[in-house]
Amino acid sequence: MSGSDRISAYADALFEVARAEGSLGRVEDELFSVARTIETNDALRDALTDQAIPIERRQGIVEDLLGGRASATTTALVGFVIAAGRARDLAKIIDRLVEKAAESRSEEVAEVRSAVPLDDDQRERLASALSKHTGKKVSLKVVVDPSILGGIVAQVGDTVIDGSVRRRLEQLKEQL
Amino acid sequence: MKTCRLLAATIVAVGFVVVSAHAASAKPAGEAQEQCIRKLEGGGAIDDCQKAPSLITPAKNELIWGALSFLVVFGALAKFAYPAIKTSMETRANRIRETLDDADRAKNEAQSILDEYQRQLADARSESNRIIEEARQTADQLRRDLVARAEQEAQDLRQRTQEDIGAAQQRAMADLQTQVRDLTIELTEKVVGRSLDRDTNRALIDGYIAELERS
Repeated sequence: MSGSDRISAYADALFEVARAEGSLGRVEDELFSVARTIETNDALRDALTDQAIPIERRQGIVEDLLGGRASATTTALVGFVIAAGRARDLAKIIDRLVEKAAESRSEEVAEVRSAVPLDDDQRERLASALSKHTGKKVSLKVVVDPSILGGIVAQVGDTVIDGSVRRRLEQLKEQL
Repeated sequence: MKTCRLLAATIVAVGFVVVSAHAASAKPAGEAQEQCIRKLEGGGAIDDCQKAPSLITPAKNELIWGALSFLVVFGALAKFAYPAIKTSMETRANRIRETLDDADRAKNEAQSILDEYQRQLADARSESNRIIEEARQTADQLRRDLVARAEQEAQDLRQRTQEDIGAAQQRAMADLQTQVRDLTIELTEKVVGRSLDRDTNRALIDGYIAELERS
């Protein structure tokens, strides 16, 4: 089994568990946040993928991190992947799961990075605007990323729409 | 053979001369006395009998015998000695002529060799002059080339130095511009980060969404 197939297999398994638990939408959002956190936090990623640390200890880290802030299903699924020794592929597995969930709703994942959290009205308007812009129904996944300074960055498939202050500053830098 | 004939002719001639001379000198003494008596009887003086013979003009009989001897000797010599002498002289003349011819040939050969040597010497001198001239021209050309190359290298070095200085100035200016730009952006980020409060950020997001809705 190739690496891609293995990731799809784990994503399918997690997807089926979340759907069976009846909390696919919430678990999907929570897992997406976990994946982005692992991507941006080197220390956390190193700790979860370090083979020298016992699996129980790494699962303990996950429980300490997500306990009380995420659903039990989400915590259990992340712990399952780490126990299987696939912590290094966790982010890819979650991304594949999110894509699969969106496909099940005939939607496409729209990853949105914002410097501040979006309220429900902004989420709804942004999803509508992105659907209109891309011609596809989108499933909005918002990641709070202060590094973009302000505004938002939306990515739907291969299309990136960058309206961040960081991007404006980079354009200014290029002009200078 | 010729030598023998010449020797024989010489012996015959000498013998004939001796015999004829002896015959000429064998005049009987009584004849002179009879002549003297006749002179005295003819009324001559005694001095006429004692007249000495001429020192220049020989006696008639001596003249006759001498002429005969001369003719005989001349004939013998003409008959026997002359051909041998002629042959010997011709041989000697031929030998001398050949020697002279050989000498001429040797002289000509020596002259031709001398000419050849002189020509070769002239050629060698000309060749040496040509080589010296070529060497001088080569040396001049080499000197000119070296000077030209040195000047070109100096020019290139000056040009490279100027270019390096220009490039260094441009790099310094570019670095300065980059530093100023980065510093400006960094300061801008700090200013923007402080001024972008939550409400401003929300306003930015709303503006972005509105722009997206319009597009």
